[in-house]
Amino acid sequence: MKPAPRLAILGGATAALLVTAVCVGPTHLLDFSRLVELMMAGPSTPALEKTSIVLWELRLPRVLLAAAAGINLALGGILLQAIFRNPLAEPYLLGLSSGGALGAVAALAAGATAVVWPALAGSLLMACLVLLLCRRRIASDLPSLLLAGVALGALAQAFTTALILRFDPGALRSILFWLMGSFAGRGWSEVWLVAPGAVIGFFLVMILHRPLDLLALGSESAHHLGVRVLLLQTGGIALAAVLAALTVAACGTIGFVGLMAPHIARRLAGAPHAVSVPAAAMVGAMLTVGADLAARSLPAGTELPVGVITGALGCAFFLALLVQKR
Amino acid sequence: MSTPMLQATDVRAGYGAEDILRGIGFELRAGEVLGVVGPNGSGKSTLLRALTGLIPLRAGSVLINGTNLSELGSRQRARLCAVQPQVEAPLFDYTVEEFVLLGRHPHRGPLTPPGTGDISAVKSALEHTDLENLGRRSIRSLSTGEWQRALLARALAQDAPLLLLDEPAAHLDPGHRHATHVLLQQLSRGKNLAVLCISHDLNLAAEFCDRMMILSHGEIRALGTPEDVMTEQLLQDVFRCSSLRLAANPFTGRPGTVFSP
Repeated sequence: MKPAPRLAILGGATAALLVTAVCVGPTHLLDFSRLVELMMAGPSTPALEKTSIVLWELRLPRVLLAAAAGINLALGGILLQAIFRNPLAEPYLLGLSSGGALGAVAALAAGATAVVWPALAGSLLMACLVLLLCRRRIASDLPSLLLAGVALGALAQAFTTALILRFDPGALRSILFWLMGSFAGRGWSEVWLVAPGAVIGFFLVMILHRPLDLLALGSESAHHLGVRVLLLQTGGIALAAVLAALTVAACGTIGFVGLMAPHIARRLAGAPHAVSVPAAAMVGAMLTVGADLAARSLPAGTELPVGVITGALGCAFFLALLVQKR
Repeated sequence: MSTPMLQATDVRAGYGAEDILRGIGFELRAGEVLGVVGPNGSGKSTLLRALTGLIPLRAGSVLINGTNLSELGSRQRARLCAVQPQVEAPLFDYTVEEFVLLGRHPHRGPLTPPGTGDISAVKSALEHTDLENLGRRSIRSLSTGEWQRALLARALAQDAPLLLLDEPAAHLDPGHRHATHVLLQQLSRGKNLAVLCISHDLNLAAEFCDRMMILSHGEIRALGTPEDVMTEQLLQDVFRCSSLRLAANPFTGRPGTVFSP
């Protein structure tokens, strides 16, 4: 099957999952004609009807936020895997998400309420540290650089843990829940933070699709074929850092989506980034929306952070990759 | 006389504190095949890196079609100069057609789909390299020789007037090795390409190249026609092999080498 029909099928599956995630929950919204009516009516009317509130204030922002976060993480993964020429690279593994989390938790510990800018600063600082190492080593020793990213991420996590211990027990649970990644209780303000990043990021990565193909061949070959390698590496890491930071600031750290989505996308649609980027965006959205649907489908009081579910999925995925390689 | 397609003047380049290349100067004109030979570690691959801007020059200059390499934009350089690397390990799997189409990058806009010019360049490159029946195959399923031809096909699809090749026939069987050299000669004559070809095969280089350069310890030991360059004493000295003897090709009269017992 050619890539276009494959992408169309994937698009249909993504749309179906998004609609399911909007409809399913403690208050089921299964009357489709009523659902369409409420969608057309907009959020303001009828203001007090329960289904309208569930749809416009809870379900829609939650599902859209999850989808946008999944897209951001998948785009980060696909960028970093090509740049580092390593199929295991992703924002979480490279410490970009951990840097964002450290920034956010440090701001909360200092008494701040808004975590967006500190998270952004944390992720970008981590990207700068990685890039500083890049400038010296990127052409010759990418695996070591990836390990350096992993080490910096572990350091950021250690600092985050040390900071968390300063919170009182009441705040501790909510901070931990936030850190593990969750879409619960988020609203339109978070959607407006993450979704523009997903849209702009998607177009930027699509523009870079062929240079990313060339970079995945090797930096020397990319140079010979007209790619400004250092600029692409620097810009790509910075873009992945911004996308990870926006996601961490709104939803906490959600691991392994950036690793899994590009792999699954390449399987489903093919290796060239012209098709694997849109496929990865859709798979990323499906993974986070699906994980969130699973998280909130558990019995009341046992809802899990999304990061726990994606972490478990990531573990199974890693093992499956290992078994396949053997 | 026309502007040389490639002109290197007193080039010095290297890694770390060490200079690998010293005082390299030569010209390569359209329609000419220049073979670069030399022992392992003589600086052949470093020369390729210096000529394409992969490593900075410590002294001297490189002009491509009369323009200084440092003044060329990356895409502009790639439209003028195509390179077949010696090794490459793509991270992802592509079909041979997708892979060769990547050679068209310098000619395409960021989001433009392949045009008729791109498709015909890929088709022609696949035909030239005897890969037209393998277009839909995964590059990971290719044999070493087929893979080397795919690398050459991508460089040909780049459609540049200057072709730099790093041992393009190293892993090929005798038939494809011969065919590759015939192709390079035909391309230089028919399409007026300037071809620089690094090779370890002295006989094929002498047979198919218009001129040869012998590199040793980062310096040019000899540069000229195969007849001028291929002297027994020089080859024995450069390759540190007293068994290396000259023997002309009985069919073409071109110089070649054999080993004495």
